[in-house]
Amino acid sequence: MITVSGIRNAFWCAIAFGIVACASAPPPVEKLAVAKSSIERAEQAQAAQFAQIELNSARNKYAAAQAAADKHDADVAARLADQADIDAQLAESTARAKQQEQLVNEMDASLRDLRNETLRRDTSGTATPPPAPQPQ
Amino acid sequence: MKRTSNLVAAAVASTLLGLAACETTPDSSALLEQARTAVAQAESDPNVTKYAPTELDRARKLLANAEGSAKENGAKDTSASHYAYLTTQMARIAQQRAQEQASITRIKSGETERKEVLLTARENEANAAVAQAQAAKADAQSAQAQAQSAQAESQRLAALLEDMQASQTSRGIVLTLDDVLFDTGKAKLKPGAERSIEQIASFLSENPERRVQVEGFTDSQGTDDYNLELSQSRADAVAMAIIQRGIDAQRVRALGYGEGFPVAGNESDGSRQLNRRVEIIVSNGDSAIPARAAGVP
Repeated sequence: MITVSGIRNAFWCAIAFGIVACASAPPPVEKLAVAKSSIERAEQAQAAQFAQIELNSARNKYAAAQAAADKHDADVAARLADQADIDAQLAESTARAKQQEQLVNEMDASLRDLRNETLRRDTSGTATPPPAPQPQ
Repeated sequence: MKRTSNLVAAAVASTLLGLAACETTPDSSALLEQARTAVAQAESDPNVTKYAPTELDRARKLLANAEGSAKENGAKDTSASHYAYLTTQMARIAQQRAQEQASITRIKSGETERKEVLLTARENEANAAVAQAQAAKADAQSAQAQAQSAQAESQRLAALLEDMQASQTSRGIVLTLDDVLFDTGKAKLKPGAERSIEQIASFLSENPERRVQVEGFTDSQGTDDYNLELSQSRADAVAMAIIQRGIDAQRVRALGYGEGFPVAGNESDGSRQLNRRVEIIVSNGDSAIPARAAGVP
């Protein structure tokens, strides 16, 4: 029972709705800028090495957000920009945490060596061997 | 009636079209569940409450937003899914930042620990050096004490030798007691012998490794047997006097030689008096006293 005029009506209605839903707001320039700077911070924190998955997710979402903005899908662009931003933040914090963890492991190893060294020196009671170089 | 159904159809179509234009909307309930779990996990991590309370707070607010959107607009709501996703990521960020801070704190305490280990090692070395120095000093002191006691002993010995007109021979130190200490023909020590016996006994008790041999001699007057017996008796008397002053009998030996081994001719009274004597030989250290050989004093 669908008439030609009904289809036409529906079409116009859909167009109107689509415009209202997607392009009612201006492009989220600010959110995109925030996401971009978060990605840059993550890159500086060596996220490419220590948090590759999170960084890639942020980059992909940022690209999608830009594409959406170009298509005037402001809401989608805003959400994607927010997600790119938070993914980048996670990438940065994960990279930092992993690097600190590495430092802790190195320190533990060097402390263990130092203890063994001094213990040996105490028990042998003989002349002290030259101290082992301490890893920084 | 027809118009109404057309309108409904148009509305449904437009809605579908509009959503399709934006994105596909997953069911938010799975994402919400994930978000709740992530927040709960972060909350149970003591490092998070300690080092990343701000991030945890943000995650909680995002979760409230997600729950609110889902309640208001249903499980298919786009913002509910969006906020659920942001919640999960923020909770993870909180955990990563907390872990980073915990590691930084751990590194700081490790630095302190390292300094302590080095300090202890240095102290131990210093203590060992001090102990070594003290041991060396104690060694030196005991060596000095030993030297002093050796010197004191040799001084005492020298005094004794001088006192008793003793002489050092290859058999040992020889002390001579003359016959003034005995009545003629008697073997009983006179009180005048006390002082010499006392000196010998105290010297022996201070030098427990040394031993003595007491040898008795007579002049050539009288029979050989008589002289032999008299010399033995006199030697025995002197030995007994030494033993009575606390010296072990094992260390004291008495021998009578009669008129043998004269130190002078027997022609005059003076020279005969020299032959009537008791000699006390003190061993050099703990070595045995060699037997008397003819012609050797």
